[in-house]
Amino acid sequence: MKIITRKKVIVISISLTILLGLVILFSITVGSVKVGPLRSITILIQSILGLKGAGTDTERAIILSLRVPRALLAGLVGAGLSISGAIFQALLRNPLADPYILGVSSGAAVGAIVAILMGLSTLSMGLPLASFIGALLTIVIVFNFGRQDGKIHPNTLLLAGVIIGSSLSALIMFFISISQKEELHTIVFWLMGDFSFSNPHAILMVFPYIFFGFILLYLRARQLNLILSGEESALQMGVDVERLKLLCYLLASLITAASVSVCGLIGFVGLIVPHSVRLIFGPDHRLLLPSAALIGASFLIASDTFARTLLAPTELPVGVITAAFGGPFFIYLLKTRKVLKTL
Amino acid sequence: MSLRGAKSRRNPKKESGSLTLAMTMVFIFTLLWAPLSHSASLKFADEVNREVVISFPPQRIVSLAPNITEILFSLGLDKEIVGVSMHCNFPEKAKSKVRVGSYISLDFERIISLKPDLIIATGAGNTREMVDRLEKLGFPTYAIFPKNFGDVLKSIGHLGKVVGREKEAIRIIQGMKQRSQKVIELTKDLSRPRVFLQIGEAPMITVGKGSFADDLITLAGGENIAGKEKEMYPRWGMEEILKRSPEVILVSSMNPRGDYQRVLQEWSRWKMIPAVQNGRVHLIDSDLIDRPSPRIIDGLEEMARILHPERFKKQ
Amino acid sequence: MIDVRSVSFRYQKDWVLRDVTFQVGKGEFIGVIGPNGSGKTTLLKILYRLFSPQQGEVLFELIPLKKMTRTDVAKRIAVVAQETYPLFPFRVLEIVLMGRSPYLGYLMFESERDLEIAKKAMEWTEILNFSERPIDELSGGERKRVFIARALAQEPEVILLDEPTANLDIHHQIEFLDLILSLNRERGLTIIMATHDMNLASEFCDRLILLREGRIYKMGSPQEVITKETIKTVYGCEVWVDQNPVSAMPRISLLRKERHEIETVGRD
Repeated sequence: MKIITRKKVIVISISLTILLGLVILFSITVGSVKVGPLRSITILIQSILGLKGAGTDTERAIILSLRVPRALLAGLVGAGLSISGAIFQALLRNPLADPYILGVSSGAAVGAIVAILMGLSTLSMGLPLASFIGALLTIVIVFNFGRQDGKIHPNTLLLAGVIIGSSLSALIMFFISISQKEELHTIVFWLMGDFSFSNPHAILMVFPYIFFGFILLYLRARQLNLILSGEESALQMGVDVERLKLLCYLLASLITAASVSVCGLIGFVGLIVPHSVRLIFGPDHRLLLPSAALIGASFLIASDTFARTLLAPTELPVGVITAAFGGPFFIYLLKTRKVLKTL
Repeated sequence: MSLRGAKSRRNPKKESGSLTLAMTMVFIFTLLWAPLSHSASLKFADEVNREVVISFPPQRIVSLAPNITEILFSLGLDKEIVGVSMHCNFPEKAKSKVRVGSYISLDFERIISLKPDLIIATGAGNTREMVDRLEKLGFPTYAIFPKNFGDVLKSIGHLGKVVGREKEAIRIIQGMKQRSQKVIELTKDLSRPRVFLQIGEAPMITVGKGSFADDLITLAGGENIAGKEKEMYPRWGMEEILKRSPEVILVSSMNPRGDYQRVLQEWSRWKMIPAVQNGRVHLIDSDLIDRPSPRIIDGLEEMARILHPERFKKQ
Repeated sequence: MIDVRSVSFRYQKDWVLRDVTFQVGKGEFIGVIGPNGSGKTTLLKILYRLFSPQQGEVLFELIPLKKMTRTDVAKRIAVVAQETYPLFPFRVLEIVLMGRSPYLGYLMFESERDLEIAKKAMEWTEILNFSERPIDELSGGERKRVFIARALAQEPEVILLDEPTANLDIHHQIEFLDLILSLNRERGLTIIMATHDMNLASEFCDRLILLREGRIYKMGSPQEVITKETIKTVYGCEVWVDQNPVSAMPRISLLRKERHEIETVGRD
């Protein structure tokens, strides 16, 4: 009889990690500048070992200061968005949920726009910080509205999130209308989502939220399965449903906030990856969460790589690629496998 | 950067030659008749080949772009300028003029209340729809559309005629020609350094063929590393810049509230770029290099100074 | 085994249950009946500690329910309730295994023993050959059995059933209740079932509790509780009560308005 065992999870996770590794290697070997694959990998290995020697200064700069941070950040964000998308879909019991559904992303956008209008450079850490603060404030507001008598009602929370998200979108439109041409460009650019300014600081900022968030969520994976059958069912089987919901919502929101504040609003990943992974591996969160994280990371790194190489030297916004590839792939999955008959 | 451009772009070169002659004759004619009629209507063809009938000389002029405002002031007008765009910041006097809107949206009510007898628009910024609407409202609208340094001189000349300040226009044009010739002279035998001009930070935007700044770089004796790009404002990643290894980096200070020290600091991360290694990363005022006005010669000289410091030690 | 003492409960302003007191002995098969809104479902929810009564208390083997941890309650009391439509369909085995949750705590993966228990539960409910199928591919009757199996996997002493036969056809209703009955007789499980269907309750239950507007109107054997007068008082309608010819348990026949006029005339 097939059930999800520890062994199965480990085997699949290792395989997906190998896939991720290959995708990372792929992404550092391609770019608008031709650095041979062998040389790229040598440069990478040497830097890990603390050596130098291969490649010119320019090539090393390209690999180590541009492509590697970019791949790492895209991977982290891809994992984060996929995890939080899966969690929101489970908690809200809504297949259309994605990481942005509770308005956290709009809050992050407002924070970023305010920072841009105040003249903060996108290269400074002030911008992601302002964005993150905007996201946190939104989380607090939405949760306050979504809780009644100390309990979280998924539909109330959803409504609060959507309404606050829309209000913040209106605020964003206002800001756009009063901004100067130059700021406008930066704002739109941020909103579309981009990795071209990946730097080690951003990676350090995002990593703890995504890594620890994942671990804390994974510890509750089995209980999340129970909630999918219904909150009352879960309760009668011994799960402290309210505490679980609160913790998971907060963790998923924090992961989303961290992801969005370093790279803007990248769409599709948080919606498509969890569904696709469920179609392949099933809805059990003990396997879904690590798989979605790893596949989401690979997907976003690959998308970002295409975004910067398809029309080199021009860089496309990565959101264009995630939509262009993610959309048709998901439709293909829908047609060839049964997805959600409730839709 | 223009958000929209005028749709017709035919080169009025041929026609302006004979037109100038005709207009000069009419002008002399009008002078003789001046005591009898204080204003006459004159027909002009503007730089996008529209026919504009203006009561001459215009007494109440509205400018829809900063470069136009600068040109008008430099031609000696002041009280005749009754309205300017909100971006107009030079000269100082322009700041106290009535604002009529931005590139994206015009305050039509304000314009109507000013009762202008001439509105001047630019093909690089104001839209065809705007101009058509102004015409429908009964305001003669004259459009200029300079695309490079040479065109700027021509536009100054055209505007000089349209507002009745030909003499000043010619003087300004001569001055600019002289100074630019000097720059070309001084730099013509020097090798052209590879130049990267950054006009946007996020995303990183530079200037390609057909933009003003590109023209200036060439005139100033430099080689724009993005000069062969078909797009006027290409959006590049850092890899491309590293590949092309510029010797001079110019950062255009577009955002008045921007933190440019930060930008310069960011460049210092990339020490393998010759420009960074040799300390040749410079800030340059965007109003001087991206605005088709008389000050563009200042921009050209500034650029030449930066690109070839050995030749321009004086100022 | 279960001691309900003067329990009163309300959701908002109006009391849904008022001063409800009764005992359930080990191994009994109790039916809770009553009109819509009489508090049947609410009573069950209090029994499995979804809600706590504002007044009164519930004791499980002399220990107050609210002093037990949620997992303790889950190890003793299992519920088969109305199921929401599965959003992301799990497979049957996975759902039955969820019943082992109270025993797993923070452990992530089920052990061999858990698997054994789940298998046995599926044998009892005769769904072993469905174990790999996703739940949404099963019929209503089969799905119900999956949830009973899940409840059995909790290794409870008491099983609560909330309107279990709604949406089932006659065949499946009987099948379901036969299964419950065998669990009761052969495994010694205490069963408390809330139902609309008084005939089924009468056939299968040892004792009935009839609720009216939140209070116990009558409690006792089916013969004591199901009478024409009781039904008239509590439900406000005329019915014909006789005996099931095979089992001799009370049997209610519904009457059309015209019919029971004839009937009353005919009887007198």
